[in-house]
Amino acid sequence: MTSQPEPSGLQVDIIPVQGELNVGPQHPGSGHMRIYVKLSGDIIEDIDLDVGYVHRAVEKLSEIRNYMHLIPLVERPAILDAIHMNLGYILALEKILGVDVPERAQYLRSLAAEINRIASHLYGTGILGIFLGHSTAFMWGFGDREVWVEILQALTGARVTNSYVIPGGVRRDLTPAIKEMIEKALAYQRRKVKDWYKIFVNNPNIRSRLENVGVMTNENAIKWGAVGPNLRASGVYYDVRKIEPYAAYSKLDFEIPVYKEGDAYARLLVRFEEVEQSMRMIEQIIKEIPEGNILSDRFFKQIPPTRLKKWWEGQKKIVFPGYYASFRPPKGEAVSRVEAARGELLYYIVSDGSPKPYRLRIITPSYRMIYVFKQLAKGARYADLVAIYGSLDYFPPEADR
Amino acid sequence: MSSSQQVPQSLLSKVIQDLIGKFKVTGKAESDTRGYVEVDKSKIIQVASYLKEIGFDHVKSVTGIDYPEQNQFEVVYHVSSYSVPELTKVILAVKSKTSYKDPKFPSLYSIWESVWTGERETYEMLGIIFEGHPELKRLFLDEDFEGVYPLRKSFKLKQEGLFIDKSA
Amino acid sequence: MLSLSHIISLIKFYLFYPSFFAVIIFPGLIFTTVILLVTIWFERKAAARVQMRIGPLYVSKRTGGLLQLVADAIRIVFSEIIIPNGVNPTLYVLAPVLPLAFSFIPMVLIPFSSIPQSGSVLSPYYYDFYDPEIGQGVLVGYFVEYNMVLVLGILAIIPIFILLQAWATNNRFAILGAVRESLLSVSYDVLILMAVVAIALEYHTLDIARVVATGIPGIIANPLAALVFFVGMIMGTGRFPFDIVEADTELVLGPATEYSGFLFVLAMGGGYIATFAYSFIFADLFLSGWAPLSGLPGALITSIKAILVLWFSVFLRSVYGRYRLDQALRGSWKYLLPVAFASIILGLVVGWIWIR
Repeated sequence: MTSQPEPSGLQVDIIPVQGELNVGPQHPGSGHMRIYVKLSGDIIEDIDLDVGYVHRAVEKLSEIRNYMHLIPLVERPAILDAIHMNLGYILALEKILGVDVPERAQYLRSLAAEINRIASHLYGTGILGIFLGHSTAFMWGFGDREVWVEILQALTGARVTNSYVIPGGVRRDLTPAIKEMIEKALAYQRRKVKDWYKIFVNNPNIRSRLENVGVMTNENAIKWGAVGPNLRASGVYYDVRKIEPYAAYSKLDFEIPVYKEGDAYARLLVRFEEVEQSMRMIEQIIKEIPEGNILSDRFFKQIPPTRLKKWWEGQKKIVFPGYYASFRPPKGEAVSRVEAARGELLYYIVSDGSPKPYRLRIITPSYRMIYVFKQLAKGARYADLVAIYGSLDYFPPEADR
Repeated sequence: MSSSQQVPQSLLSKVIQDLIGKFKVTGKAESDTRGYVEVDKSKIIQVASYLKEIGFDHVKSVTGIDYPEQNQFEVVYHVSSYSVPELTKVILAVKSKTSYKDPKFPSLYSIWESVWTGERETYEMLGIIFEGHPELKRLFLDEDFEGVYPLRKSFKLKQEGLFIDKSA
Repeated sequence: MLSLSHIISLIKFYLFYPSFFAVIIFPGLIFTTVILLVTIWFERKAAARVQMRIGPLYVSKRTGGLLQLVADAIRIVFSEIIIPNGVNPTLYVLAPVLPLAFSFIPMVLIPFSSIPQSGSVLSPYYYDFYDPEIGQGVLVGYFVEYNMVLVLGILAIIPIFILLQAWATNNRFAILGAVRESLLSVSYDVLILMAVVAIALEYHTLDIARVVATGIPGIIANPLAALVFFVGMIMGTGRFPFDIVEADTELVLGPATEYSGFLFVLAMGGGYIATFAYSFIFADLFLSGWAPLSGLPGALITSIKAILVLWFSVFLRSVYGRYRLDQALRGSWKYLLPVAFASIILGLVVGWIWIR
């Protein structure tokens, strides 16, 4: 590697280092991928995102498994956001099958989705904190997330990769004990968010690290195809829950935070306000949830009576009927989308009448951010690379699938 | 179906009928928000520029599907809009076919920049060469997969059986 | 033959001889090492309390995990030292030792306490370590009359050894860290020197002992200089928010990337010892070192004040993130340098009016 002599003057923004830097997988600030950085001084000229380190070939595997067996597989790319990955797949499948879902199940789907959104945003903020050196944000992010993950465990039976949503409804019901847990968690989180603002969001150190870093203008956001909070921080009012409401979102009252500046600080603020809006939605769901069945009648009728007595009347848990083992949906295709925590998640299923899908296409939000990340890092300083990475909430396993 | 007797025609079906009229493609609007057009490979750039003018400003996904019995690939672009409010809920699927013997396809990068990742992935998984793409090389797979296209139906995944140890 | 009491008094004479006592035992090598371990324990424990967790606990449950650092030190010291292929082995092994040694040498020169003529266990050495400026002895390893300048001069050489460390490592990330260190070292050294010059002008002396003996703490006489010195100290030794040289998530540990085993302990420990040396200077100049007491209790008071300053600067880890290099440089040249100039002027004025 070469080091050139410094041009004269008190220029503090050129450091005589030129060459390529391999911010590879064995680096504390890179996550599961390699970022191949071409540096000139302190300014990044270009980066080459070498993704694919955790590519698990979900799309190829989906051609040899039955539709029901795919549910745990499809959740694995983004394990923290598993409810949304699950929900998107099931919505596409229900379009092909032509099943309608009871009201109570819709509300339960929204409840689990919002809890997962809060947990995922706390994780993302924690990762941004540790990339900037703020270890308190990291520990608080994971500590607060613990509260919500415990609620998901009580509701669905697993902390992450819940496999909660099934075609026709959900697997388990809400009990009064869980409602109490949720109310305590809401009070706790509201208190904690005030502390978060004091130590992290309004910290002058963090503000100076994040303001005017990785600025994405409105036109660029649309041209490059950004999604999620990153898009909303650049001034585009776009949220799938408002545009094409699924689950119970058409009946809930919430707002979408939109900021114009498009820098990393705006993205952080959007995420915090989304946490507040999610908490609002959870309160409404708990108050307004209607009574009813949690699985559509078409499948509920098929559970054999012995199982019904043991599991449903005893503990209110759904155990799958025999139909699910290998059902054959009609020929057709469907496109469905949900608003996952990181952005818009799209599923495209092509079915040819056999028990296994002909083609399953998953477009995760981090997949669409690969190009945006590459463009935003051009011309930034080297220390801003991790700030941009953390503020975009790019999650490599989700992008690689 | 898109239009019934009393309900006025939705914007999507208007757009599709426009396309059918202008470019002689086939297509159908399956509902208010989903529809598809099937375009020939040679006309796809014109259709894409026209769609961009109407207001479809980004591509959500690029999918390549393999039909070995018919010896052809199908490439599906799902486009939608961020800026035009009536079109934000519409996802239009632009389908096009290309044969096994000539797996070349014109790249839509010059029209929509958001196809960058999708076209690269479709190239490495299926072997469809997008002409005009600035950086067409492997994205997710590693070096052993040079020249091997995994998502084709001819690539069989090796599966292990289940071993149940009855004696234990 | 020598009798037992004679032997004991001989041992006592040599043990308490300030050049041995102050350098090796009390605020010296052994004490500094113990305080280093306790400080890292404090850093982890305080950060843990802020971050809703417990921190070190299980190694010695009754004392709250105090021996955790001893366990860590033993483990790391016995790890394998890996020397990469393309380096010069002598320089590679020598490089972490030098900043540590040079951070420690100022401890030989900073006065820790005064020795009264009678009544203290150190009084036999009154005439050997007599300081004409204050009219008493000083507890110091080696007495010079211009110790303020000498101490800062020695501490200013340390960045060069960090550059040597990175150059010997032959690793791109290390070179990036070294370049950052070289740019930062110019700015923080200037700040520290200007703050100390302000104090020297104010008290009309270059002797730290004289500054303490006037009885007026520097933080009251010249608060601007105290601020500039403190910020410069944090910048210079890599405490948060100026952790720029060893930025964990950008450059994998900067100049110390390739070190493992005992060399790693030396590379990391050098920063803390430099902070400790600076905090002794801070305690002496600005917090009026050993003021009410003298002799050995005076040294204890100085050490307590220095430890408080050290623990405060180490606590900042739980509150701040890390600044970017150009922000730190801009802050120090654009905002702190005028404050440093103002402190010099303030020192001149106050020194004329008040302190004679």
